[in-house]
Amino acid sequence: MIKNFTIVFCIFCVPIIPISTSSASETAHTVLRFVTWKADNPKIWDAAIARFETAYPSITIEREIAPHSSTAYHDLLTQKLKSHDTAMDVFFMDVVWPAEFAMAGWVLPLDDRFSVSEQKKFLSATIQAGTYRHRIYSVPSRIDSGMLYYRKDLLQKYGFDPPQTWGALVIQADTILKGEQPTHPALRGYSGQFKQYEGLVCNMLEFVGSHNGLFLSKDGTRSTLTSPDAIQALTFVRKHIIQRLATPAGLTHQEPESLAIFVQGHAVFHRNWPYAWKMANNARYSKIVGNVGVTLLPHFPNGQSVATLGGWLYGISAYSNHPQEAWTFIRFMTSPQMQKYFALQASLAPSRTALYSDTEILTANPQFQDLFPVFQTARPRPQTPIYPIVSNILQRYFSRVLAFPHIDPFQEASITDHQINHYLELVQSTPQ
Amino acid sequence: MKKPFLECSLLHVGIILSVIISLVPFFWFIITSLKSQTAVEAIPPTWWPNGNLDAYRSALLDHQLLNYMMNSVIVAGSTTIIALLLAIPAAYALARVRMKGKSLILGGLLSMSMFPQIVIAGPVWEILKHIGGLNTHWGLVLPYLTLTLPLAIWILATFFKELPRELEDAARVDGCTLWQTMSKVMAPLAAPGIFTAAILTFIYAWNEFFFALLILTDPEQQTLPVGIALFQGEFTMPWGELAAASVLATLPLVLVVLLFQRGIISGLSAGAIKG
Amino acid sequence: MTRNSQESTTGWMMTIPALAVVGTFSLYPALDSFLLSLHRIYLGLPTIGQPYIGLQNYTMLMQDPVAQQAFLVTFGFVLLSTTLEVLLGLSIALVIHETFSGRGWVRAAILIPWAIPTVVASQMWRFIFNDQYGLANLLLFGDQVSNYVPWLASPTWAFLAIVAADVWKTASFAGLLILAGLQVIPDELYDAARLDGATAWQRFRHITLPLIKPALLIALLFRTIDAFRVFDLVFVMTQGGPGDATQVIQFYGYKTLFTEGQMGYGASISIAVFLTLLLLSVLYVRTIGTTLFQREPA
Repeated sequence: MIKNFTIVFCIFCVPIIPISTSSASETAHTVLRFVTWKADNPKIWDAAIARFETAYPSITIEREIAPHSSTAYHDLLTQKLKSHDTAMDVFFMDVVWPAEFAMAGWVLPLDDRFSVSEQKKFLSATIQAGTYRHRIYSVPSRIDSGMLYYRKDLLQKYGFDPPQTWGALVIQADTILKGEQPTHPALRGYSGQFKQYEGLVCNMLEFVGSHNGLFLSKDGTRSTLTSPDAIQALTFVRKHIIQRLATPAGLTHQEPESLAIFVQGHAVFHRNWPYAWKMANNARYSKIVGNVGVTLLPHFPNGQSVATLGGWLYGISAYSNHPQEAWTFIRFMTSPQMQKYFALQASLAPSRTALYSDTEILTANPQFQDLFPVFQTARPRPQTPIYPIVSNILQRYFSRVLAFPHIDPFQEASITDHQINHYLELVQSTPQ
Repeated sequence: MKKPFLECSLLHVGIILSVIISLVPFFWFIITSLKSQTAVEAIPPTWWPNGNLDAYRSALLDHQLLNYMMNSVIVAGSTTIIALLLAIPAAYALARVRMKGKSLILGGLLSMSMFPQIVIAGPVWEILKHIGGLNTHWGLVLPYLTLTLPLAIWILATFFKELPRELEDAARVDGCTLWQTMSKVMAPLAAPGIFTAAILTFIYAWNEFFFALLILTDPEQQTLPVGIALFQGEFTMPWGELAAASVLATLPLVLVVLLFQRGIISGLSAGAIKG
Repeated sequence: MTRNSQESTTGWMMTIPALAVVGTFSLYPALDSFLLSLHRIYLGLPTIGQPYIGLQNYTMLMQDPVAQQAFLVTFGFVLLSTTLEVLLGLSIALVIHETFSGRGWVRAAILIPWAIPTVVASQMWRFIFNDQYGLANLLLFGDQVSNYVPWLASPTWAFLAIVAADVWKTASFAGLLILAGLQVIPDELYDAARLDGATAWQRFRHITLPLIKPALLIALLFRTIDAFRVFDLVFVMTQGGPGDATQVIQFYGYKTLFTEGQMGYGASISIAVFLTLLLLSVLYVRTIGTTLFQREPA
């Protein structure tokens, strides 16, 4: 009787005081604390975690919901890691964080658990993102990459095929706006993410990259923003995207705001990550269900389409007391079955290559078939332990050139190159 | 004395303008909070709400608003109580007891209330890390005490200073110790001042964002300002819910202001001018 | 022990707990920040250690274009917002000083912006200046949707939007401080002036203004110090953008310290902010000078 009572008591207390119960009930029961972001489809996650807990009754997952903005989440996570918080076991890392976290010793290397043969089953870009100085630190939960959404109905009405080049996109959007704006004044040609924040770096990488430009030299030792390719791409965005198609309002948009414009039918073209497919086709949020097309991002005449690599990686905290259980959890959540579940329920693009020949997934997400080559070649942002610094400098640079129509991009770029190089030299001078 | 017409109408225009400007942004959020999702996203915006309470339901249920409010009540409440317990004796001593270096202390307190948060943020975080105060409510109360004590002491010292000396002297003659004189005689007399200091401290702690953002990383522990500032869905910008949450978060303060505006006004002015 | 020294001892015992708290979480951290600012510390690069580098962080700060911009934006913000706040505050004070029916309600209404959390006020103003659903566009352009202005996308307007939100939030506070000054002016002065035939403007110019000068200066001091520390508004409304047009120094310091992990360099920014504030308050206090310190409880 008393025993029963204790068990009931424990069950009720576990969610409230997770840490204090650890020592006595260690072998019997583990509570894993998993830090994740605020999902818009929490039920899908609830169900996924319930599945895990049914499969492994000795492990309970306690989720800590962080803000979704990548920067706010980064700050929160690093505060915890700096304080050697042992309560946190597993967390999601943005693809740009592993170098920083690895260098700081915050995340466990997974080489002995995550074998090379197993790694080969994942899209190589996502594995690369989790690798720093020849060690692997994370398992990719999914892949994200930039893609171009468009209004099938509007393009059809004006007799256009999806644009291959940025120049074609501008001409198409201009034509459609000319025809539609008299009856639809809120319509815009393009909606992307141009606010001064991390997303701006992702958007600009695609423009600069598809103009054959790079942010950093191939060996990662110098900033190359003054190269003609990078400058020309940026000037194009300022002149044609910000000042015409997106309207300067684009400078205030992160993903939610830009997607809202698209799903309400106020944009012809929209740049976003894979999840937007499901949202744009969900009648609860969207007025353009069934009229959404998706394709590769355009490129400039001298380049190829470039999609920024995004997505979230599972990592194990270096301060966790339960790395083994954490690994069990990660292995389960990234298994083919679970990735298929997320692909079907939330149209998250799997990180496992084999799932791109799964007919069920392809029926639910026909766009994956066309985008598979994009996923295979998605372009990472600079991989450096001081990425937050580099990113802030880049955000400032792009935002200034886009927001001030009269600023000279070249002059601004040389200042920025100089700033970034200062920090890159610092990293090169550190012992390995 | 009767006022001339011009002066009188100027006054009325002034009153109406001040009230409208003060309240319009708030009304706009109330209107928004009562709209359905579709109405919020209408372009151009509509003036009248369609009386939809979905946003409130969602703010309370999906965004755990009550949890944030509860945390804010705990943090602001304990800050207020502890700050007063510390500030009353200190203010009394600084106002009434003959001590060397008093004006230095008062001046020092005043200048410390001018510190930018950023200059103490890093080390405060380090201290809290060492004593296990991160992600706890008491860990947030400690810096809040530092930030609110200077003003509370100044306000209270002003009040104590203006109380008549006779009562105090009588108490001392009757053999009361300094502590007894303070707690039994002087503190009750300074009740209006204490009350004002309490309200100001409470409002400060209820509204503070910088340290709350830094110290509370666990959403279960976070206070209202952090909840409201980081209010964003993964894929949508829920303006209706945000407006509803803001309205609910503000209501307690509106009530406090309506009930106690007299005390707030006299307290603020006393602390600032007569201090 | 004499009664006086005993009393003084008790007095200290009453004061010390409060001072200890303030010292531990204010004075010591400020000193510690100064020490940190003399070292090179990157959280992302633990292998470089934490070498002492003298004033190198400060020379770096002098040459940092972002810091220069942030100081410039902050000074502009302080200048514009405090001026507007004190002017508006003065009008508010003059209004609520008068007696009229319903004055209690009017005073409460004016106090509401001051009482609500800055974060909430910031979200309100962010929504008012929203390019599609915002009140500003609705009031200015009605249903002429194609004229709608994306306020927060323009460097100038975004800066002014933050000023507007700050003025809205704190003008009433400045008003209260000025009101206190008004309240100590004896009515007889006005009555006498009226008998002499002075106009309202003359009474304001020659009685009110000189007598509330200390209150005005104090309002200016309080608002300057507070405006210099602006953070919440920028965090919520613009995150420093577009193009660093609203990058204020405390937000830049926050990002440097807590997003980028530049603990040493970030500390030097915070010390620079601190010194600037100190300089400003010394200047003010010297201007106000005697008025403030003669009134100190002695």
